[in-house]
Amino acid sequence: MIEFLNIRKAFGSQVVLDDVSLTVHPGQIVYIIGKSGAGKSVLVKHVLGLIRPDAGIIRFEGQDITRFRERDFYPLRKRCAMVFQHSTLFDSMTLLENVALPIRKHKGLSHADSLAAAREKLALVQMEALADRAPADIGDGLRKRVAIARALTLDPMYIVFDEPTTGLDPVSAVRVDRLIRRLAVDTGVTSIVVSHDLRSIFSVADRVVFLYQGKVHLDGPPTAFRASTDPVVRQFINGLPEGPMEL
Amino acid sequence: MKSLLLILRSVIEQTREAVATLVGTIRYTLESPWNFRAIGEHMFLVGNRSLVFVLLTLGFLGAITSLQAGFQALRIIGDTTIIGQQLLPLLVRQLGPTLVGLMVATRVGTGIAAEIGSMVVTEQVDALRMCNAPPLDYLVKPRFLACLVMLPVLVVFGVMAAFLSAMGVAALVFHTPPRVFANLDFVSLIDVGEGLVKAVAFGAAIPVIAGAAGLAARGGSEGVGEATTRAVVSASLAVIVLDFVIGGLAFLVRT
Repeated sequence: MIEFLNIRKAFGSQVVLDDVSLTVHPGQIVYIIGKSGAGKSVLVKHVLGLIRPDAGIIRFEGQDITRFRERDFYPLRKRCAMVFQHSTLFDSMTLLENVALPIRKHKGLSHADSLAAAREKLALVQMEALADRAPADIGDGLRKRVAIARALTLDPMYIVFDEPTTGLDPVSAVRVDRLIRRLAVDTGVTSIVVSHDLRSIFSVADRVVFLYQGKVHLDGPPTAFRASTDPVVRQFINGLPEGPMEL
Repeated sequence: MKSLLLILRSVIEQTREAVATLVGTIRYTLESPWNFRAIGEHMFLVGNRSLVFVLLTLGFLGAITSLQAGFQALRIIGDTTIIGQQLLPLLVRQLGPTLVGLMVATRVGTGIAAEIGSMVVTEQVDALRMCNAPPLDYLVKPRFLACLVMLPVLVVFGVMAAFLSAMGVAALVFHTPPRVFANLDFVSLIDVGEGLVKAVAFGAAIPVIAGAAGLAARGGSEGVGEATTRAVVSASLAVIVLDFVIGGLAFLVRT
């Protein structure tokens, strides 16, 4: 279980998160949604220690990690992986080496053993044939699949997906959605997904958390989100340029 | 007054970041295994790719210094044989290390800040942290070790280039025999030690300051640009300050 309690985060004078509280239960697929700049990515990065809160408490499986030092987060990052928005594969490495890096670093395996293990993970996302290619040689959809393979290398129980379907063609986006669902059903992985993709939200999410003006504006199942009469939520769902939602 | 305070605050903040980066890098250097492949690649980038730049700049500088010093010597004492014996200690302990340091701060420091800064704004540094590869260990340490080794090497080549070109100019223009020009009696071990200590200190400071600037980059390409500028200004300033401090300490040793 992951708990965010009264999280506050500001960058300079801009308050991004203002007293946000949220509990993510094991096995859930929770979608964090909101307009651009609403603080969705900022919120999820707190659990991995990639961003530190100005105030509030974060608990990971009951343990208070708010004051963790950087080195304390490394064991936690074995259990909680992240797929970044732009895949963030390392340009200087092949796809196989990208996937092998967390295996080598976290498990202390040799270079050869980590490559063998990485090849298996690439096979899970049907990418083993391109293992020796460079990230620059493949498209966004394939890069995203490799990034997912890299996140799966350590068999984490929690995965944070930051806009996993943004920039993907519809077919690739559906494949990613199915993968997220399959992970939850087959292995019980808890997924926190940052997204704007309404199709994805309504087909995959167990729960939707809508952030607005630094606060949790709505928290409930996708059906409650879809049926909401709140003007801000309606404007977001209908994608209307005019409405109460602040720019 | 307000802008002065802002500058002072910025200098203090950057110094704090650089010191934290230095301490962290030294800790990883002592505690975690070395990636010799990465260190070798960076040694090539720092050394081989800077060599022509260093040789040309120091070579021309030696020639210019010899020419100007020769004219002054002729005008004042009518004897150019003292140029070599005066120039060599100056090159070894002062001009060579400082100029090479400034050139590496410009050429290599900007590259380090831009590369690491780009990785920060594209979240690659966060991805490294997720892979249990701390940025100081994975990114800064190999560059730190490479510069530590290659700066003294570049200084040796740079001093040789400057001295040989100065000797050539003295022979061609002032007809000073190379045997007279290349008088090593005026170079002491303390001069050589001072030059090498400076080279090692610059080799430690430049990648650490540039790495700290890169890791502090925020935003997009504008943030990377700012980090690059900050790296070259701070690293150049550090070279000058370290030059002064080490030069002062060497002076105390001599006296």
